[in-house]
Amino acid sequence: MTSCARVAIGDPDATRMPMRQMTPMLSALYQDRLLAEYRAPKNRRELVDATSHAERKNPVCGDAVQIMVRVERDAIADVAFMGQGCAISTASASLLTQAVAHCETASTLGLVASVGLLLGGEAVDDLPELLDPLRGAVRFSSRHSCVLLPWLALRVALTQGEATRHKRF
Amino acid sequence: MTTLAALAPRSDFPLLAAQPALHYLDSAATSQKPRAVLDAICGFYETANANPHRGAYALSAAATDAYHDARVAIARFLGVADTDCLIFTRGTTEAMNLVASSWGRTHVQAGDEIVITALEHHANFVPWQQLAKSTGATLRIVELCNDQSIDIASMREIVNEKTRVVAITHVSNAVGSITPLDEVVRIVRSRSSAVIVVDGSQAVPHLSVCFDALDVDLYAFSGHKMLGPMGSGGLIGKRALLESMPPYHFGGDMIEWVHDEDSTWNVIPHKFEAGTPNAADAVGLAAAVRYLEALDMAQVRAHELALLELADARLRAMPGVTVFGPPAAQRSGVISFAVDGVHPHDLATIFDQQGVCIRAGHHCAQPLMRRLGVSSTARASFYVYSDGGDVDALCSAVEAAQTMFAVVE
Repeated sequence: MTSCARVAIGDPDATRMPMRQMTPMLSALYQDRLLAEYRAPKNRRELVDATSHAERKNPVCGDAVQIMVRVERDAIADVAFMGQGCAISTASASLLTQAVAHCETASTLGLVASVGLLLGGEAVDDLPELLDPLRGAVRFSSRHSCVLLPWLALRVALTQGEATRHKRF
Repeated sequence: MTTLAALAPRSDFPLLAAQPALHYLDSAATSQKPRAVLDAICGFYETANANPHRGAYALSAAATDAYHDARVAIARFLGVADTDCLIFTRGTTEAMNLVASSWGRTHVQAGDEIVITALEHHANFVPWQQLAKSTGATLRIVELCNDQSIDIASMREIVNEKTRVVAITHVSNAVGSITPLDEVVRIVRSRSSAVIVVDGSQAVPHLSVCFDALDVDLYAFSGHKMLGPMGSGGLIGKRALLESMPPYHFGGDMIEWVHDEDSTWNVIPHKFEAGTPNAADAVGLAAAVRYLEALDMAQVRAHELALLELADARLRAMPGVTVFGPPAAQRSGVISFAVDGVHPHDLATIFDQQGVCIRAGHHCAQPLMRRLGVSSTARASFYVYSDGGDVDALCSAVEAAQTMFAVVE
């Protein structure tokens, strides 16, 4: 028969005490530069003259991000995002818009692939320094989908995105 | 440190015993398993493993007996006098799909109304939504009060003579609110001849449930949320209703006779248990209910309520914290909350680094999240092995997250 003896009340078991300090891994994830992008994201706006757009949803948490791009002569003339998400997906989207602005479409798709490789554990050393805050997420596999959310939306927008004009999300 | 002891010793739970610093606050997703359950599963495979209902040899008879005894024990725990009326399934999701498919497709047609609530888990929402789409029936959703409890007045307005089925949760997985089932039954019975289907996956682990006293028609539950193994659970129903329903899956064990052109069906519960049954996990689930019986479900409820009231009061007193759901006394051991300026997914990551496991997300309840105006919430949930130290760790983790995100002075 199962024992139902109760644990002694007030047992000061030190190993059960809450930990209050931040681990280095966590500090690397939520580094100042990432939190700064989260608090004041760049290019979170509508892009009324977008040539294509795409939305990507994260079924795990219910977040969604929309990426809007204006492509001119095979290059990204303007890019913006909309949506509310966690610190990581928001910062990732903000950094994305800064990293790919004015880049050629082909090199942008290469950058999307590089971000995927980075999260897969590959030693990716040709990422723009601007994207360094995303490196802190590599060891948090449960958050890879947050980092990737805007990048995958961008890839869809560039490869099969719906044409848009004055579309409101 | 808060002095509220666990009801069940951590030493009974190998995973918790091996990780003393872990604060497991995600029991609404799945519970930890006591040694007694693990031993029972292992014991079945070591001493009685054969295909139940098949072989004409002693070992097969032992397997059949073990499977049958498990059904008897679980039926007793759930207040089901007619043991045959307990169908083993992989859990609530399969049970609900069984009902929507088997009963729904033979009893619901265009013009009928299907009633669910905005509180439902997707497992008790999507099957009915899809049944309505495929039959032309109308899906009607009972709305919620401001505290995310089911709006009984809305239910009175919605249930009528066209209502063929009312599918409703006993306890919300997302906010923990407890449905006043007796009142729901009175309303439905007085206004319609509808079948009442209850999602009991969050009720059976935490409250004393007696199916025969509820006067509902069908009741689903999941074993893995009540100390039992994953892939176990069941559907309970009234005999006449179950006998009138066609099989859900076809195959071995569920037939009476197979002719070239047609087949006839075995009696319940076998009619709904096609193929080799998951006997080992049924045995494990029976061990889980024996463990809960030894604890006493009244004590389980009292323990969880004490933890919930403590956590509820402390979280509500913290700046920038919003707690969802009705008052603690009307909830099971679930606390769903938000912290201003910190997304629930970020909360969960920060908590995890402090050894605190919570759920962050939509909790498979996106209709509810839309009504709350959020994409997700953070959810901590308690069980028999939770203690005051878990509440301390939860509150400490909230403070750590607020400090990291600099959202409080």
